[in-house]
Amino acid sequence: MTSMTSPSFRQLASFTVRSEPGNERLALAQVAEAVAGEGLSPKRLERLKTAVAEAAMNAIEHGNRNQPEVPVDVEVTAADGDIVVTITDQGGAPEGAGPGAEPDLAAKLAGEQAPRGWGLFLIRHMVDAMDVTTEGTRHTVRLVMRATGNAAERGPDCGASAEAGEGGPREDHV
Amino acid sequence: MKTTCEADVRILPGGAVIVLSGEIDGHAADTLTEGYERAVASGDPATVVLDFAAVRYINSTGIALIVSVLARARAQGRSVVASGLSDHYREIFDITRLSDFIELFPSLDGAVSRLTEAAG
Repeated sequence: MTSMTSPSFRQLASFTVRSEPGNERLALAQVAEAVAGEGLSPKRLERLKTAVAEAAMNAIEHGNRNQPEVPVDVEVTAADGDIVVTITDQGGAPEGAGPGAEPDLAAKLAGEQAPRGWGLFLIRHMVDAMDVTTEGTRHTVRLVMRATGNAAERGPDCGASAEAGEGGPREDHV
Repeated sequence: MKTTCEADVRILPGGAVIVLSGEIDGHAADTLTEGYERAVASGDPATVVLDFAAVRYINSTGIALIVSVLARARAQGRSVVASGLSDHYREIFDITRLSDFIELFPSLDGAVSRLTEAAG
């Protein structure tokens, strides 16, 4: 766990994007630029970009409900070998928070699950850790990627709500 | 932020090819659906190839669209194969298990060779 008091703490970027469909790609581009030179392999950078895009898309669509004037806040920091990206919307605790059904492709092909519902699944598999917290209306997804090591070859080591405070992960429908 | 997806359909012996370009996200729904319908409209292709070599971005909504195409093809007795995926998106096809249902080829040429061999 990193903290603001870590001697190696550095803020790499802090910005907002408007809550308009497609702006998740602005978020991923700015995060990619911010972490350039932080030692992520190309493979792990692609993973982080996908996780950021999915979290930002959830924030835009389901948190801020595509209201352009409501910002999605993005902060990128580095400390103790971790790159941490936080993505915050203003949607508060998601309704019906809790672990949703894990997407099952066979069930989707059989018509037993909707084709959608891959967003959180992808995030969990792309990063080394994630957690979700809600404070009032601020709903934050925190993504952690170790800048070094070979964690790229293994699966995720946490669940979406492993360190969640009140509320849980936004149950995306993407 | 407007995104774009285009689909170029080619009919070949043994199958049809949908050459995709741009971004496969929510805005690609009509393009992908219409591309599939054009691909199966003439003849009755046993296999539909999705070529991703010119695709820059696929998000979770795009994955859902691909799932829908795959479900539709399977319901019609067709197989779906894919070509040209980057290493990153190959990994996503593995994680989502799409690669259990869609045979992956590094290049369109390889996928087309499979079609023509099957038709031969």
